[in-house]
Amino acid sequence: MFRLLMYIGLAFLVPGLAAVGFAVYEGPVSWGVDAVTFWGVPVSLFVFWIGLAHAGTLLSAIFLALNVSMDRRTALLAELSTLVCLIIAAIYPLIHLGVIGNFYMVAPLLDARGNFANVRSPLVWDFCCIAVYGLLSLLFFVLHLIGGAKSNMLDGIVKIRRSMAWLLFPLVLWVHTIVSLDFATTFVPEWRGAFFPAYFIAGAIFSGLAMVNLLLCVENYRVRLLEKLMLVGSWVLCALWLWNFLLKGDFCVSAFVFAGVLPQFLLVENVRESRILRSMVCFSILLGMLLERIFLVAPTPQVSALAGISDSSRWVDWGLIAFGVGCFIHLFFAVRRWLSKPIENDEILMGDVDEVKESEESASERNARAKYFPPLTTPEYRVLRLPVLFGILVSLLFCIWTVSSNADSNIQVSLISVVPVFFPIVVLVASVILCAKPLWYVFESRARWCFVGVCVLLAGLFGAFYAGGSSMPAASESRETRAEHAEDMNSYARTIMIWNSRCSACHGVDGKFNEKFIREFYPVPQKLTQQRLDSLGLDSLVKVVLKGRVNMNPYGDRLSEDDARALVRYMRSIAPIDSVVIEDSLATDSIPVEVVP
Amino acid sequence: MTPLIHALACLLVLGLASFLWRGKITLLKESLLILAFFLLSVLFTILAGDLRDPNMELYPFRMLALCLCFSATTLHSKRRRYLVLAQVFWLWVELFGSLALFYRGFDVPWLRLVAIGGIAFGSSFLSRINREMEFCLMVFWIAVWTFF
Repeated sequence: MFRLLMYIGLAFLVPGLAAVGFAVYEGPVSWGVDAVTFWGVPVSLFVFWIGLAHAGTLLSAIFLALNVSMDRRTALLAELSTLVCLIIAAIYPLIHLGVIGNFYMVAPLLDARGNFANVRSPLVWDFCCIAVYGLLSLLFFVLHLIGGAKSNMLDGIVKIRRSMAWLLFPLVLWVHTIVSLDFATTFVPEWRGAFFPAYFIAGAIFSGLAMVNLLLCVENYRVRLLEKLMLVGSWVLCALWLWNFLLKGDFCVSAFVFAGVLPQFLLVENVRESRILRSMVCFSILLGMLLERIFLVAPTPQVSALAGISDSSRWVDWGLIAFGVGCFIHLFFAVRRWLSKPIENDEILMGDVDEVKESEESASERNARAKYFPPLTTPEYRVLRLPVLFGILVSLLFCIWTVSSNADSNIQVSLISVVPVFFPIVVLVASVILCAKPLWYVFESRARWCFVGVCVLLAGLFGAFYAGGSSMPAASESRETRAEHAEDMNSYARTIMIWNSRCSACHGVDGKFNEKFIREFYPVPQKLTQQRLDSLGLDSLVKVVLKGRVNMNPYGDRLSEDDARALVRYMRSIAPIDSVVIEDSLATDSIPVEVVP
Repeated sequence: MTPLIHALACLLVLGLASFLWRGKITLLKESLLILAFFLLSVLFTILAGDLRDPNMELYPFRMLALCLCFSATTLHSKRRRYLVLAQVFWLWVELFGSLALFYRGFDVPWLRLVAIGGIAFGSSFLSRINREMEFCLMVFWIAVWTFF
């Protein structure tokens, strides 16, 4: 069964890989881009998959933290699905960026490489939160697997799972809140929503529950509580859609039918009892949520009309969807097969690693509660509160450093802009402290030094990542585009093609400045109005195109001087329209962002 | 929204909260009740507020959060845990709502955030929550809702 599913996954994955390759090769011009939001299918898929990635660890952590018993198989499958979904979700932002090497810029390393990361940007927050979430989810999953070994030596490390659950439970909610801010902090009217955090989290948990239930159907397994939660999730989401509709008049009918109406069949006993019908309801929810994400990201009907993209090129969008589906099915069931033994060990309830020992511990815990502890010495304080307090201290220091070392005058960093990275840092530091002691005792003396060596190596790698790299990341790494090789095209068509495949990621397909992308990704750059272009002069701009400048990548090794001149002329030809539209939109939206003249 | 209507919302929430967690607690029953309260909050916001005001986007969620805080005091067991969770939910709604509104030119209500955060943090240290303490907490929440 699992092998068959792996082949099915492969059948989706292979064409999907072709689409991914083409999308990376061609850049943002290859997929449908919304004319208003400048976003397309890669971002929709990122939101969809990161949403799916939330249910696993969330369910596992929340149930463990609140002492709700859940069988080990369900919990492990859910946690595994989180990890696989995270891997897939991480790929789409890379595609979306157009130039993959630029991803390095979203790491919040401030001015360590002479290039201040835009800490105001939700993309920087995303990177920070998702990186910490991925790391800790992996650790949580590994600890769960180790728990099955029932070795006395590992007892110490397994016990910290409950403390970790208390850290992960809010972290999961925090991460998807931050993803929702990618939308809520922008100027797009359709994304106007201070309530987006609740909306996104409800959607993420709902779709994640559907995914976990679908996986359980494949296993021929059933957890009634998860089905009830899925039903409740559909009600919550319907209420949120209603509120969204009342506020903005936006409503995605197909999403409502698939994810709002069809799940109500779970109220019918025959549907609940049938494995196939249950699977179909879960699939319907996943489809509905995918449609909802696509609707959310690209709200205007004239998607890609501005970009001049013909319908035939939309195969890339389908390919990107197929890539996600195929990659998940193949990877998940491959790992599932590999971990059959620990996952199918149904005896152990999650949170009750050893039930006898657990009940003894509960008795001892009850005794401990009755005992008087001087202030700051309770077991709870030592195990959880102290690491958290230390994490808060480190995080506070980071925030103060960030706000005070405002190296770039283009960014006005305020305290509230740093808040989103505050909690992930707290959790990361607290988890490291939490795990350090049990890990130390798990290893034998020689292995301890190996462990220390690995830690030093990791720290070294982090240091290299921190200090290394150039502010011109794509100088040698980025591949040449089809346009740059197209000698036989007439020069004007070739210039437009190069523009679309290379320059449009930042400057916009129509030269209107992909302001949304730029503002969120980089420090706000200078405005390329006609006046400014004239004042700089043709030769100076050609030099910038060929040799690069600050965040602008150098293209001297791929473009001739004539190509660069043609690009500058093309840019100038579309500049006047640009300046009027942007100024209008800034004036009407009253966005507190400074554009340097 | 006038201060009087705003205070009325608090009263409405207080009334609704008394219906939660009564009798045997089941997932579907409590979820339906919470959803019904949310829809009532939506209705209240539509009737009493101006939906063009971006601050109103958050209003039903704030009402729901306050409702959960009030209702958590009626729980028979694990009251401290759920009180803290309800207050953290309120803080989360306020914090990230403010963050989204900040990017649209609104000021961050630091005082409200600090007050909710402070009481949530403080109440996590309470060893037992008796009736007097419940009353104090409820007065504090009403004060935060009405004045901050």
